[in-house]
Amino acid sequence: MTLLIRSQARRTAPPTQRRKRLSSHAIMGPVMAAPALILLAVFLAIPFLGAIAMSFYRLQLNSTRAPRFIGLEQYSRLFTDPDISAAFLHSLGNNFTFAAVVVPVQTALALGLALLVNGKLRGMAVFRTMFFMPLVFPLALVAVVWRLIFARDDHGLLNSAISLFTGGSVGPHDWLGSSATAMGAIIVMSIWQSVSFQMIILLGGLQAVPHDLYEAASLDRAGRWSQFLHVTVPGIRNTLIFVALLTTVFSFRLFDQVYLLGQSGSVDIESTQTMMYQVITTGYDQNNIGQGAAMAVVFLVIVTIVAVIQRRLVRQEGSIR
Amino acid sequence: MTLSTLRSTPHPRRRSIAAGGLAALVSVALAACGAPSASDSPSAASNISAGSGTGTLKVWALDGQSAENTAIQKIVSDFESTHPDIKVKMQFLPADSFAKALQTSSPADLPDVLEVDGPQIANLAYGQKIAPLSDYVSAATVQNQTDAVKGQNTVDGKLYAVSMMNSGLAMWGNKKLLDKAGVTMPKSASEAWTADEFTEVLKKLSAVVPNGKPLGIAENNGLSSEYGIYGFSPVLWSAGTPMIANGKASGALDSDTAVNALKKFASWKQFTNPDGDGTAFQSGQVALNWMGNWMYPAYAKALGNDLVVGPLPNFGKGAKTGSGTIAWSLGGHTKNGAAAGKLLDFLMSDPVVSTYTAANGAPPATKTTAASSPLYGAGKPLAFLRDQLDAACPTEDRLSQQCVAVSRPVTAGYPVVTSSFGKALTAIWGGADVAASLQAAARAIDRDFADNNNYK
Amino acid sequence: MTRVRSIKRSRLLSRTGRYALLVFFGLIFFVPVYYLLVGSLRPGDKVLGGLSALVPSDLSLDNYAGVFNRFSNDTTGYVWQFAGVSLAVTAIVVLGGLLVNSLAGYALARMKWRGRNIVLLLVTIMTIIPFEAVALPLYYMLSGQRNTLYVQALPFLANAFSIFLFYTYFLSIPVEVEEAATIDGAGPVRTLFQVVAPMSLPAYATVAILTFLGQWGQYLWPVLMITDTKLRPLPLELSVFQNAQPPEWGPVLAFGVLFVLPVLVVFLIFQRSFVASVASSGVKG
Repeated sequence: MTLLIRSQARRTAPPTQRRKRLSSHAIMGPVMAAPALILLAVFLAIPFLGAIAMSFYRLQLNSTRAPRFIGLEQYSRLFTDPDISAAFLHSLGNNFTFAAVVVPVQTALALGLALLVNGKLRGMAVFRTMFFMPLVFPLALVAVVWRLIFARDDHGLLNSAISLFTGGSVGPHDWLGSSATAMGAIIVMSIWQSVSFQMIILLGGLQAVPHDLYEAASLDRAGRWSQFLHVTVPGIRNTLIFVALLTTVFSFRLFDQVYLLGQSGSVDIESTQTMMYQVITTGYDQNNIGQGAAMAVVFLVIVTIVAVIQRRLVRQEGSIR
Repeated sequence: MTLSTLRSTPHPRRRSIAAGGLAALVSVALAACGAPSASDSPSAASNISAGSGTGTLKVWALDGQSAENTAIQKIVSDFESTHPDIKVKMQFLPADSFAKALQTSSPADLPDVLEVDGPQIANLAYGQKIAPLSDYVSAATVQNQTDAVKGQNTVDGKLYAVSMMNSGLAMWGNKKLLDKAGVTMPKSASEAWTADEFTEVLKKLSAVVPNGKPLGIAENNGLSSEYGIYGFSPVLWSAGTPMIANGKASGALDSDTAVNALKKFASWKQFTNPDGDGTAFQSGQVALNWMGNWMYPAYAKALGNDLVVGPLPNFGKGAKTGSGTIAWSLGGHTKNGAAAGKLLDFLMSDPVVSTYTAANGAPPATKTTAASSPLYGAGKPLAFLRDQLDAACPTEDRLSQQCVAVSRPVTAGYPVVTSSFGKALTAIWGGADVAASLQAAARAIDRDFADNNNYK
Repeated sequence: MTRVRSIKRSRLLSRTGRYALLVFFGLIFFVPVYYLLVGSLRPGDKVLGGLSALVPSDLSLDNYAGVFNRFSNDTTGYVWQFAGVSLAVTAIVVLGGLLVNSLAGYALARMKWRGRNIVLLLVTIMTIIPFEAVALPLYYMLSGQRNTLYVQALPFLANAFSIFLFYTYFLSIPVEVEEAATIDGAGPVRTLFQVVAPMSLPAYATVAILTFLGQWGQYLWPVLMITDTKLRPLPLELSVFQNAQPPEWGPVLAFGVLFVLPVLVVFLIFQRSFVASVASSGVKG
């Protein structure tokens, strides 16, 4: 994201012009930022420090006993206790699988859809509306509807449709319950719900690519694929990076779908559990607050590292160009 | 409990400076918020008082079936009209957030009277969310509770809840399909099919159902949910092992007896209809359904005289059933115990229990009503289920060949027991190694117990 | 390579091809929505019936009546009460959020002050922290404020991601406009709300809609903070029918429709401006 900040900053007015105006803001700047910053400090930063503090304790929500200080034990368990670390590392792996599939696939699909709806066709408004509708679905409802679609018997919508198209030669499959397809099913419902948001952002990028670049390219007799690679992609490069970064951060937060489906017992938890899932089930459901807090801290360290690495990679690539 | 006590935690030298500083920062921030103060020696009784026996009672009830909701509202308004000096302010809470609501409530928020889920009673008692109630309800009320629910409602010798109803599992059969396959439903727990016989029965029945899967186990309830441990811990009990023995899961939940029994159980998956919406039995796709009493109305309506009922399979040490369900408790910090006791006495009176169990079809949990129940009384359609409940063990530390009804483990660590067992059961049903799954569950349970000083 | 064709309409091979793709994806996206809608109008036992579940037969409003009958007095709460709480909390969060986050975004984008860069970095980092990670410590902090309306809204007013969106958008506005206002003697707050904000409606719309969507489904926080029926938001009640024995799929889906309907209506009304706004608030190449 820093990359974006820098590329944007370059476009603001030159320093000489700004100096006078800005000097008067030494007081008003902090004052205007203060309400949001105070709220963020009170409701996000301090509680997060609280979570760090809790991770050094053993405490339960329901207990009448005082929390007990246990130092780094929650962390050492997270990495050495065979059960806890296995589940946690497994979840971490699932997170990476999810991100590794969702980030490219969702970004590509969003780009494809953006290209598809970029332009005037009769009835386009209807199609756009269709694409956007899932966005208004709260995840709790997404889980309900897709649970029914993926239902494992021949009453499930998907199984029934497949059976129809294959003339009954392919039998019903337990999409959510089988470890082979559970993560795939979660990926499908996640993309379904949120791809249109990325699509809209990319649409903005597409519309901002200067039209004369395409004309120049067609004068050079560039093919369509070559136009796409040499005009469109560079033209929306920053938007694509923004979307990919955004999708990465959100994909690491994957939790609701897995949790809700897990509660109804219809999903294979082993292959779909994620770090946030561990944080919530450990801290809230098993009431092991200290362990859950330690997981949350490690989770954030990992996501931060991923974000930093991703940014570095992008930046290096940029410097080659 | 409050984090303000972090400051007085007696391990100053083990703390790193950074951690100590953070903790101090947080505890200062949190101390101002007026959370209840912690005590090292829980003593729930001291938190409650009898009060005047009049005034307003705050009541929390689970948002249950529509019929239950209607019935309980009617009952409460009847109570108000017979007790003009007591007002009841009742509210329903959705089941999935009910436990969290109790955990997060401060003493001032807690109700005077509340519904509690049976297996959670020990945990709630440990957290002082509910209080022992023998001093506030009449001796006659306590005396009239059936042994099966007393087992569930008693923690460390103290009664923490009273029950209007109980529950039980059975094997429900479609007589038409059974006849077609030449199978006869056993009539009593002592005649139950052995596990091996049951496999043979399933093989025979495969031929007579549309898709070759004659068994239903209500998978749609979710094996990792509370239904998982309720529905299928009888497999272990019937094999002869408790889930927790002497405060430890290792050696019990992961014993060879448990492993072999669940292996057998998992082998029936090939005969099991996934039954995504819980209607396969009613529609005749399933010949035998492993289910609780609460589905009886739907089954009876769909199958009529073709509905037969019998015991779950016997895994070696006698057929078993789960028992226990929602009960009523005294709030752990009520200042109106006398009035609350009157409400509890009223709820347990014969006409109320009869009205309520008639509304939801559950087995009555009081001795005087169980015998005369139009559903569960002698010679009535579900008398079989009452016979099972009358033969109460009633807890898993007192298993025997003859007793049938068992409550889920009575321990303050129950939340980790149910979540660990549910996880293991789901994995096993999904094809994972039985021994490894149960060992992992046992380790998780024992670790939690050890972490919490065995909930002493 | 159909995607490329769509870039230049003059080179499009066929409208038919594009329509085919649009219809294909449109159906994929729409079928679950349609399934929900039709399911909510049919008897619960027809919800899981393979493809026949999509056939609009046996339509009735019984499931909706079931939902409203279920919540029909003070003990159960009322549907309109849950919806009212959700609406009120969401409105506070959306409107308050627009105010504080745009102020902060503007201060970061356009004003120079000591510590600005550090604050910017901190805000960027805070976009990563999910609320679930801080909910329990926050519960301890605010346990004295349980069962209030404002405690449901307060933690969500300031939002690092919203600040970030405002920040990027404000950066993309030509600075000359504001300079003219400054020369006229307007202070920064007036400049923001009289000059910059009207030019930044897309950013405000984007943040508003994203906040609305995020807030409307809020579940975890009210579970921790609310037990009073009168103050319970809609999402807490979604489970009631699902947990029934057996699940009452008809009412579940009807409740689901009632749940998304307000959002959908708002969304359809503002769809055009939403598309325009999100598209233009994205970072441009």
